[in-house]
Amino acid sequence: MGHGEKGRPYKKLKSSKDEHRSIAMEDEDVYFGEAEDDYRDDGDKEGKKRDFSKLELKLDHASRPLWACADGRIFLETFSPLYKQAYDFLIAIAEPVCRPESMHEYNLTPHSLYAAVSVGLETETIIAVLNKLSKTKLPQEMIDFIHASTANYGKVKLVLKKNRYLVESPFPEVLKRLLKDEVISRARITPEAHGNDGFTISKTAGEIATGHDGLLNEAELAAAAEEKETHAFEIDPSQVENVKQRCLPNALNYPMLEEYDFRNDTVNPDLDMELKPHAQPRPYQEKSLSKMFGNGRARSGIIVLPCGAGKSLVGVSAACRIKKSCLCLATNAVSVDQWAFQFQLWSTIRDEHICRFTSDSKERFQGNAGVVVTTYNMVAFGGKRSEESEKIIEEIRNREWGLLLMDEVHVVPAHMFRKVISLTKSHCKLGLTATLVREDERITDLNFLIGPKLYEANWLDLVKGGFIANVQCAEVWCPMTKEFFAEYLKKENSKKKQALYVMNPNKFRACEFLIRFHEQQRGDKIIVFADNLFALTEYAMKLRKPMIYGATSHAERTKILQAFKTSKEVNTIFLSKVGDNSIDIPEANVIIQISSHAGSRRQEAQRLGRILRAKGKHQDRMAGGKEEYNAFFYSLVSTDTQEMYYSTKRQQFLIDQGYSFKVITSLPPPDSGADLSYYHLDEQLSLLAKVLNAGDDAVGLEQLEEDADDIALHKARRSMGSMSAMSGAKGMVYMEYSTGRNKLGQGQIKSKPKDPSKRHHLFKRRYG
Amino acid sequence: MPQVRIIAKNFMDMVASLPTMKLDKLYTNPFICQAILRSLPPLAKKYVLEMLYIDGPVSAKMLEEWVLTDGSSKHRVAVDRLIQLRIFSETVDRKKESSYKLNTTFQINLRKHLTDREVLPREPMPPNIVARLSSSEELEAYALGQWECFLLQLINSTQAEKPTNFSSSMMKIFQRGLLSQRDKEAPRLTESGFQFLLMDTNAQLWYIIREYISNSEERDIDSADLISFLLELSFHITGEAYNMNTLTEIERHMIKDLADLGLVKLQQGRKESWFIPTKLATNLSVSLTDSSSRKQGFVVVETNFRMYAYSTSKLHCEILRLFSRVEYQLPNLIVGAITKESLYNAFENGITAEQIISFLQQNAHPRVAERIPTVPENVTDQIRLWESDLNRVEMTPAHFYDEFPSRDVFEAACDFAREWSGLLWEDSKKMRMVVKAEIHMQMREFLRGQK
Repeated sequence: MGHGEKGRPYKKLKSSKDEHRSIAMEDEDVYFGEAEDDYRDDGDKEGKKRDFSKLELKLDHASRPLWACADGRIFLETFSPLYKQAYDFLIAIAEPVCRPESMHEYNLTPHSLYAAVSVGLETETIIAVLNKLSKTKLPQEMIDFIHASTANYGKVKLVLKKNRYLVESPFPEVLKRLLKDEVISRARITPEAHGNDGFTISKTAGEIATGHDGLLNEAELAAAAEEKETHAFEIDPSQVENVKQRCLPNALNYPMLEEYDFRNDTVNPDLDMELKPHAQPRPYQEKSLSKMFGNGRARSGIIVLPCGAGKSLVGVSAACRIKKSCLCLATNAVSVDQWAFQFQLWSTIRDEHICRFTSDSKERFQGNAGVVVTTYNMVAFGGKRSEESEKIIEEIRNREWGLLLMDEVHVVPAHMFRKVISLTKSHCKLGLTATLVREDERITDLNFLIGPKLYEANWLDLVKGGFIANVQCAEVWCPMTKEFFAEYLKKENSKKKQALYVMNPNKFRACEFLIRFHEQQRGDKIIVFADNLFALTEYAMKLRKPMIYGATSHAERTKILQAFKTSKEVNTIFLSKVGDNSIDIPEANVIIQISSHAGSRRQEAQRLGRILRAKGKHQDRMAGGKEEYNAFFYSLVSTDTQEMYYSTKRQQFLIDQGYSFKVITSLPPPDSGADLSYYHLDEQLSLLAKVLNAGDDAVGLEQLEEDADDIALHKARRSMGSMSAMSGAKGMVYMEYSTGRNKLGQGQIKSKPKDPSKRHHLFKRRYG
Repeated sequence: MPQVRIIAKNFMDMVASLPTMKLDKLYTNPFICQAILRSLPPLAKKYVLEMLYIDGPVSAKMLEEWVLTDGSSKHRVAVDRLIQLRIFSETVDRKKESSYKLNTTFQINLRKHLTDREVLPREPMPPNIVARLSSSEELEAYALGQWECFLLQLINSTQAEKPTNFSSSMMKIFQRGLLSQRDKEAPRLTESGFQFLLMDTNAQLWYIIREYISNSEERDIDSADLISFLLELSFHITGEAYNMNTLTEIERHMIKDLADLGLVKLQQGRKESWFIPTKLATNLSVSLTDSSSRKQGFVVVETNFRMYAYSTSKLHCEILRLFSRVEYQLPNLIVGAITKESLYNAFENGITAEQIISFLQQNAHPRVAERIPTVPENVTDQIRLWESDLNRVEMTPAHFYDEFPSRDVFEAACDFAREWSGLLWEDSKKMRMVVKAEIHMQMREFLRGQK
């Protein structure tokens, strides 16, 4: 496979600390191409073997569940009687690397420890519990590492109390050190002489739910629950951003945790909303919420739950607990509708208190508190707005939000967050995502912009509990036909490579076979995904199935989706990558993927997420229930092409979550398939001719334009053409809009027709 | 494992192939008679026991009547084996009727064994002389430790913790057939070498012992002496101490080698020195076909191609390294990943996908052993697929022709090659062609004729 293209498709680009990443994010689908490829690369180097066989085994090692290595790697036996406790603990202090059935791997990182201290775990507790669980004596390196990583983290909190910003810490000496900084000392609001150091002293409750019962002895538990004396000083609200900046690791290195004492907030009006009685959060949803509200205040942070596991209920529950105005940010207009619906579904919020703000609908809520659902683009958009939206945005800017709820934080780049967060004033930020790809350097930004990862669910556990569908994943190998492969290898077709392997007649036949099988034998609902627009249309037309892509109007989308949901006739729809995120299609239980975006693990996981919503009766889905598998994910790859290489990469995330991909090599089965398309050579050849005759632009990837403010749309897009921006010079690594400069080496067929006359005919309509 | 039996049979074949003189000499030792009896196929065992107290020959016809009609093939095998080992001697009378008679020495010795339990040439030493004997667990651990150390040295001399007494030439002999060395590269395991590592300890031991014996003549040691001592040793009691001074000169020399293999443990008292046979030694005469002593498995393979081996053994680590990438070594756990690269490496050394899979399955950790399949299906499938991926390219020796003087000659040559069905590739634009090597001579003749 690969034909000399084995090299990494994108060169890694160091993200510059450039503040002026001026590229507007108007696309819902921005993948950090860079991150996809660095993953695991370091592990590939032979000779990086780590020999820790000299660690001293404890005598009763068999009854302890984990090994800890000096480099931070932790191995956990899932069959240990202490597994549950150990799992809860590890998930709080370490990043999961992979979580298959018998053995989990975790990594201790500075970020994960930051998250640990921010949910109230203390350095000595972490070390003590880890030592208790470990089969060996803890390596000194690890103990040092924990000390070093937690020395500064979690020591300082920024609390909004009665609308005064307080910098709070149990350690007065830390506060003194902070005040030595010029920026911070200038921001301080000094009250009339108080104590000797001028700090206000108060008491706060310790952690309520430690969750590590039995692992800590009583003394330690008592220490954790004890009320702590905290010292604080007040700062000028207008200086909050600067103070926070000074505290980041690249400056004073006392990153501040943000907490919101919403119960004592008397200034901001309460919003009357409760969870409806039928909204019963599941155990893992409860757990994630308990991490957020652990000490009676609301912490900012990120909650990671797989698609279909009920992220929105977590978001709505959080808003219901805080009971203040809530700004909810989604990635596109469709999911704005869905979020608004979720609020109405789960909570008792009155209709006039919830409103949507998109380019199509500009609503305003009545009264002094409410929920606004909008997109990132609408808030961050830098161009000229219509008068009406300017007014709304002004309101959003001026309001103090109790909760800033951010959906799908993984797709939004950091500069976008900076903008959104600096534009809006919020007391607490909650990020939601299904796939937090961790090797992304930008995770640093997320960590400090939103907050630490508060909770991450284990996919397999949710599958076992019947909360999400049990998916059978398969990779279908479709050999290239001789003729297609010959063309594929030709140099002059380098821009058509993708079209050639996607249009491979064997792949088409496999796809057709699968659609027939699932429609007729099982009565399933099928989504077919294709990134390649040419292939999408060819497939859909040939098989006479409806399709949705970027240019499909909102009305038509709704119509097709409605038909898919209700009609017995429409059982298969073709989706371009507009369907990757957010569009909720709960009926579908089969995915066939015929083309995809290079090695994006996140896209793979997101697509899988489309069918994760559990169907049928709960007891049937439980382990050992009637239906072992009730959802199917097929990824069709043409053998001996780049696709093979990418597909291995793409699957990595899911494989690490414990999914396995079964390889299917002969579809349709050798003795059948005469009734499928492209059975005869002449049909195949005419298809080949069609592919070869299509223009390079036509066979490229789809380019999406998404929901931005209606007026300045065109202007904004033109500004994006800047080559230096596209080439990654400004820290932008990959965008669907890009002109291709930064991925010449990928053999990807992507080019952006700048001249409207050269646009694909499907786009012409929009361009008039 | 089928290959085990092949090697075990070879050992007895070796005994069988000894010259008459030596074989007869072997049979003077009652223990050897007993060991040989144990090694026989069941039917052969029965014949020997039936005929133990019959002094004269028994006609072949009569013997045949002892078996059911459908057992005739087994009967043949049994009789052949007995003749091979010279336990049966065949005589043919004038009517061309053959009859069999038991080897007298063998017969007498077996009878003796039955009536008055044969005593070993040496008695266990009284416990008051031997200070402290190791417990059976300690002894077993010692034996396995020795054996593993030997194996480690065998496959990778740099990894062994302490070198054995074996001379490097002796080691080379053991490695023969298991390792191959291309010039200047480090020696690599061959396919049978890998098979060897996958066998259980008893089978491995037989293999090494066989090599040891067949090489004995070069060291001026009578192979019959070796065999008889080894088989005798197997009748000693595990864990008892036997005085060294009961051994002959040759045996005393040999016992040091056997200690290296873990068959015996040598100890030195104040005055006396003694050897303690381990389980490895006493198992030597146990019939190999019922090697029920399965070791407990230790490997867990996950769906993400990660492999966790509960083992403290360096040898295991070396074995795993043959087809996986070892990433972490912990006190009692080896963590590795099965990758395409690591497998390609293994395939290149002649290790097959099936061997790897069966190794993973047979050594599955008890936690996953009851699970079906023990090794995740997607992993086994992938291993097989990667192997078959490598086998897609077919090699055909061929010759390349170009610079044809004219198009006519080129086309005629193509036709000629096609007739002989030896044309592999042609490029008529540039007038080049590739032809199977086997018709190269005819092609040359043909082209010469064209000039």
